[in-house]
Amino acid sequence: MATADRIDGYAAAILEVARAEEQLERVGDELFRIARAFEASNPLREALTDPRLPVERKKGVLDDLLGGKTSPLTVNLVGFVVSAGRASDLPAIADRVAARAASARDKAVAEVRTAVDLDAATIARLTAALNLATGRDVEVKIVVDPAVIGGVVARVGDLVIDGTVSHRLQQLRETLNQR
Amino acid sequence: MMLNMLARILFQVVEEPHTEEPSGADLVLPEINELIAGVIAFSIVLVVVWVWARPAIARTLAARQDAIIGQLKAAETTKIEAESLLTDYKKQVAGARDEANKIVEDARKNAESLRAETVERTNTEAADIVRKAREEAAAEKDRAAAAIRAEVAALSLAVAEKAVVGAMDAKAQQKLVEQYIAELGGLRP
Repeated sequence: MATADRIDGYAAAILEVARAEEQLERVGDELFRIARAFEASNPLREALTDPRLPVERKKGVLDDLLGGKTSPLTVNLVGFVVSAGRASDLPAIADRVAARAASARDKAVAEVRTAVDLDAATIARLTAALNLATGRDVEVKIVVDPAVIGGVVARVGDLVIDGTVSHRLQQLRETLNQR
Repeated sequence: MMLNMLARILFQVVEEPHTEEPSGADLVLPEINELIAGVIAFSIVLVVVWVWARPAIARTLAARQDAIIGQLKAAETTKIEAESLLTDYKKQVAGARDEANKIVEDARKNAESLRAETVERTNTEAADIVRKAREEAAAEKDRAAAAIRAEVAALSLAVAEKAVVGAMDAKAQQKLVEQYIAELGGLRP
């Protein structure tokens, strides 16, 4: 099976389980956050993808990290993906789950990265502004990423709107190197 | 037989006794008998010589003449051949001299050509070396300048980043987010 088809299959299964458990929004959101943490943390990624590590040990890692912070259903679904040896596909599966869940509500996922967490009012205004800017009804997924230093970067599908300090510093670095 | 008769006559003439004493011119002139005998003897000798000796002598002389003529002709031929050889020799010498001159001239031209070629190649190589040295110096200068620029940029950015991060309190973060939201308002799909 091709990678895209496999990711679609896992996403569809997770989506159906979450929908059956009526936790679609929560599971989608938590899965999205876990996927971003998986991308950002090398030790976590290495631990979950190491083929020499027993599955029970990997599930133990997940329980230690997520237990009490996320719903048991999310932990079980992530454990299912990891025990199947598909931990490296977790970010793509999470993105696909979020996209399909949003699509089921006629929305598009907007991945928003900021250096600090945003309050609900700010998220609401940001969502409204993104709706206008993209012409689509977006569902904002906030990712706290200190690497952006300040400001916001939003990705809706292939569209990226970058207003972060790190992006401006990078532009400045490129400008200085070109002179 | 004839000779015998002549000899008898001669002896008779000689053996006749003298009747009177000679005097005056008779002392000088020979006796007539002696004269006749002498003439006859001379004639006989002359005839013998004329008949037998002269042809032999003539043949000898002719042979001698022919030999001399042959030798002269041979000498002439030899002389002509020698002159021809001399001419050929002179021609060969002249040819050899021309060839030697040509070889010397060719050698001189080759040497001149080689010298010119060597000088040109040396000049070209020298020019290439100078050009490459200049290019390398310019490239090294550019690299150094780029390295300095990159270093300055990195230092400046590090300082700027540190300053920015230090200034990023909650208020500044909120201000940047508000600014982003405001900028999104200016965008249209």
